[in-house]
Amino acid sequence: MNVKIYGAADSRVGVRQITPQIYWICHCIGHNAAHYNGGFAAEFAKQNPLLDPEASDIIYNAFLFVDEKTFLIDTLGPKQHETLLAAVSDILDGRSLDYLWISHTELPHAANTASLKRLYPDLEVLTVDGHDHYEVHGLGDAKLLNYGDQISLGEHQIEIIKPLFVDHALTQWLYEHKTGFLCPVDWALNLHNEHQCFHFMDEMEEKGYSDERFAEEVATTNQTVFGWLRWADGEETTQRIDDFFARYDIKIFAPSHTNVIRKDIPKYQAALRRAMALAVSRAYDLEV
Amino acid sequence: MLRHVSGDLYQIGESVSGHDGWHEAVRVYVLLNDGVPLVFDAGSHIHSTQIMTDLSSLLGETPPAYVFLTHTELPHTGNLSSILKKWPDTKLVVSSGILPHVEMPWWIDKDIISYGYAGTNEVYGGRAISFLDGILKDQPGTHWMFDEVTGTLFTADAMGYLYPQSADLLFDDELDDGIEMSWLSRYHESAFRFLPYVVYDKMMADFAKLYDKRDIKIMAPTHGNAIRGDMAVFKTRFATMMKGLCR
Repeated sequence: MNVKIYGAADSRVGVRQITPQIYWICHCIGHNAAHYNGGFAAEFAKQNPLLDPEASDIIYNAFLFVDEKTFLIDTLGPKQHETLLAAVSDILDGRSLDYLWISHTELPHAANTASLKRLYPDLEVLTVDGHDHYEVHGLGDAKLLNYGDQISLGEHQIEIIKPLFVDHALTQWLYEHKTGFLCPVDWALNLHNEHQCFHFMDEMEEKGYSDERFAEEVATTNQTVFGWLRWADGEETTQRIDDFFARYDIKIFAPSHTNVIRKDIPKYQAALRRAMALAVSRAYDLEV
Repeated sequence: MLRHVSGDLYQIGESVSGHDGWHEAVRVYVLLNDGVPLVFDAGSHIHSTQIMTDLSSLLGETPPAYVFLTHTELPHTGNLSSILKKWPDTKLVVSSGILPHVEMPWWIDKDIISYGYAGTNEVYGGRAISFLDGILKDQPGTHWMFDEVTGTLFTADAMGYLYPQSADLLFDDELDDGIEMSWLSRYHESAFRFLPYVVYDKMMADFAKLYDKRDIKIMAPTHGNAIRGDMAVFKTRFATMMKGLCR
């Protein structure tokens, strides 16, 4: 496995190449993740005994396209500000960053926007249209995009698409037409143990992971990520997923909180479909 | 702008104006709590000057003992640096569902952070605060909090509304017809874009459970003024508004 690592623990970032022009910039803790996560991830295993109790690490992803234009998806969180900047700078190797696309305005996705703008003064920040008050999110001068808007990077053609599942109102997804790269932002979310850091999903399978476990994890985590699923309709949810998969030819599945899936996409699409049906149908109580 | 809500509850914070003239509040709430003040959300960084002026005016020489964060988005945490710079001994209380190393400013010492767990009550400065799952939320690590003394439910992004400038500083009981349903609808339609996929009856069953359990006298949304008037009228209006947005 070829990974370049910056920093350690809560600042740690690893870089891997997905294609010659697309880089995966991934934060996870590694050893002692349960300590840094405050037991948060372990709570999922308590809810669902089918999960790996040792899998207490959560991924936070950014992705960098290096084409005629350079394009960064999200910024990672506050503690990763130095390592994220170092990783981006090394990948760009003296080039400038042309675009930063913020999938939504939560801090794990947008916290280092100001730092990147200071490092790359000509950077154009892009985010979702449909709101008025971007200044309170630190995005007052961002260019606002709508579904269907396209950005040509050279060989790669980015399209902003409507998300299937949202938590934050100001959320968009992104699809790249040449490579079939889909960034579905917060959808999915799996967990991993310290032996699985920075692995592609096919490499995870070599360390005991499976699509069955993926489905169980996503079902459990997405009940938390998308709390409204408890009120959704199961049939409608799976129909929306089917329609989405029929519309987009996905070859690289690259969410914000999941190991990148570059092989056996149909198997994991089926797992996602099962997962969301479970997430909608499994009952759990709210503490009110 | 500092306003007294009820009992020892005060509201400060500013608002932002949209292109079409509708305003969105970004509020901070304070319980004076007999000299051990409890602050709910920190406000936006773009309003720091006014928030700090109002906090200082309200608290005098008494530092806030705790700042409770409903969640970690910038409109709720952006002013933390000013608060902690002025009062470095203030502690933070956050939801057990957030991870500080990706959701809190990097310079905050983790030792000043403690966690609230939904379904529990804890005592802060002699005052019991209950932690709840946020029923309606846009960020997973959002929790709601309840103060039994004043009957105040701190609802984070839920129960907000967009309003004309003339209503900027008015509570519901100071308006001719309270918080208009169209104001609530305009806000919730924009803030919670999953509502078209939500089955109304399922969601309202969770609200019914909450209303049965808590004697709520005041709703304290971040993106609206405190709602302190006829709570039955507000609940009905909120439910009717939701019926229009859900399945």
